[in-house]
Amino acid sequence: MIHRLVYYSRNRLTDGPLTAWIIKDILSASRANNARVGVTGALMFNAGCFAQVLEGPQQAVEETFERIQQDERHGDVSLLDFGPVGEPAFETWSMGYVGGSESGRTRFAGIAGESGFNPSNFTGDRLFETLHRLALEEEEAALAA
Amino acid sequence: MSLHRRVHGDGWLLELHLVARPASTITDALTGLVGRDELRRRISAQLGSTHRGGEGFAILCVDLDRFKAVNDTLGHPVGDALLKKVADRLVKAARQEDLVARLGGDEFAIVQVGTGQPEAAEALAARLVDLVGRTYVVDGHMLNVGASVGVAIGSANGRDADTLLKNADLALYRAKEDGRGMFRFFEPGMDAKMQARRSLEIDLRRALALKEFDLAYQPQVSADGGGVTGFEALLRWKHPERGMVSPVDFIPLAEEIGLIGPIGEWVLRTACAEAARWPDNITLAVNLSPVQFRGAKLVTIVTSALAHSGLPAGRLELEITEGALLDNTDAVLSVLNALRELGVSISMDDFGTGYSSLSYLQKFPFTKIKIDQSFVRQMEESADCSAIVRAVIALGRSLGMKTTAEGVETEGQRERIRAEGCTEIQGYLTGKPMCAADAATLVCNMAPEGLAR
Repeated sequence: MIHRLVYYSRNRLTDGPLTAWIIKDILSASRANNARVGVTGALMFNAGCFAQVLEGPQQAVEETFERIQQDERHGDVSLLDFGPVGEPAFETWSMGYVGGSESGRTRFAGIAGESGFNPSNFTGDRLFETLHRLALEEEEAALAA
Repeated sequence: MSLHRRVHGDGWLLELHLVARPASTITDALTGLVGRDELRRRISAQLGSTHRGGEGFAILCVDLDRFKAVNDTLGHPVGDALLKKVADRLVKAARQEDLVARLGGDEFAIVQVGTGQPEAAEALAARLVDLVGRTYVVDGHMLNVGASVGVAIGSANGRDADTLLKNADLALYRAKEDGRGMFRFFEPGMDAKMQARRSLEIDLRRALALKEFDLAYQPQVSADGGGVTGFEALLRWKHPERGMVSPVDFIPLAEEIGLIGPIGEWVLRTACAEAARWPDNITLAVNLSPVQFRGAKLVTIVTSALAHSGLPAGRLELEITEGALLDNTDAVLSVLNALRELGVSISMDDFGTGYSSLSYLQKFPFTKIKIDQSFVRQMEESADCSAIVRAVIALGRSLGMKTTAEGVETEGQRERIRAEGCTEIQGYLTGKPMCAADAATLVCNMAPEGLAR
């Protein structure tokens, strides 16, 4: 059965040129891993937070999450939701990066606000829906370009 | 062990080779970590190297907080899977040259080598508390446990493996005592403190077995007439060498090590038996510890103490503090209601200290509120204390609860309290705690017509 896990974390990175490299590093590592174990999902990132949705077989999601928990770049990880779902919502995304494109960044800025994106008062469902909507919009934007 | 088959002459010779496996390969089947023996060997080797001028090292004892709850509620397979993940995180946090061991259950230890101490140990300890304390997902469950860490530095905190491990454990104990989910370094004072505690624990267990406890009875008198209305039973412990040990010093320990149950039961049975010899109108007040509300035995014990002594339930008052209502309020309230149904009265003790939450007074119909002695003692000098006493008395009156002022020592205090409308007084002015025989004499002389013997 497909399980979905939603979390966010404070990251320990400061905003700067190095951050872009680290995001790239995190994304390529997680894409490689996720493709191998059958996990899909999306990642949202800004100067203060990661928010991520992981979907896949229970065991694979648990192992992927455990790898994230052991990653020092994540601090103060808050698990918002974890449980079985009917079908995956990010089936075509080994790990979508929301906020990479110009339109995504604009959208993202709306959520983030001026003081930085603060998902601590999001429910798991709301965070999932936000990521899902942004991912679809980015996909459309990419196709249109 | 290995079995070798060899051609020998014209027949087969079976040779049995018993090969002792090198100690370093003896691992815990669940986590793959080494055990205590290998940990001790490694510490000894490290001590030798440090002695020869090598770098310092640290021992970090790690214990999970709330692990038992996971095992109890979700079962051992989930608990075991969690322990494996914990072990993984410990290995991940440590470096290649460090040694991670499982000491059994949810106890782990790390020997950290080859870095500047104690700074490196502090960094690792903080990292362990963070990393191990992060949420786990195991078999579809989201699990949260915490980690407490105790640190000892070799060879500063011990010259042999056992001492170092013991000292790291003492530091771990302190981390737990200070609230869990944190780390503490060993300090020399911890040892003495722990030994004092252990010795008090031994004495306390012995005191219970040898009946070294005694009860004193302090009169409670009516605020208007001055006649004795009842007594509060007070626990006394006279140790052959320590002398009188104050309840303030031994009750918290008794609560922690689970002795408060049997001690509390002894107090209740002894006091009820004594009070049964008093006149019918004299009440008995007995203190209950919040810990006595855990488990389901309290109502049974009270019922049994009343039945054995023949004391009517209406003459027994049980005094609780707000602490009893802090956790599991609903469960405690149901016990209190069951006690009330027996006919027993319930008083709120030490009111005014602690949270003094008015919602507790509204949640349960207490018979009586006892005003803490700290306010009564200062009411002549402090207008604030005076105001508090007045407010509590008024509160009691409007809620239909009696009020007892504790710690009344002067006529001035008595006058003020009576003027405010307080119903009862307890203190040195109206009667010091006395032995059972004196208490019986006092009430039997005072009201001979009430004798029920």
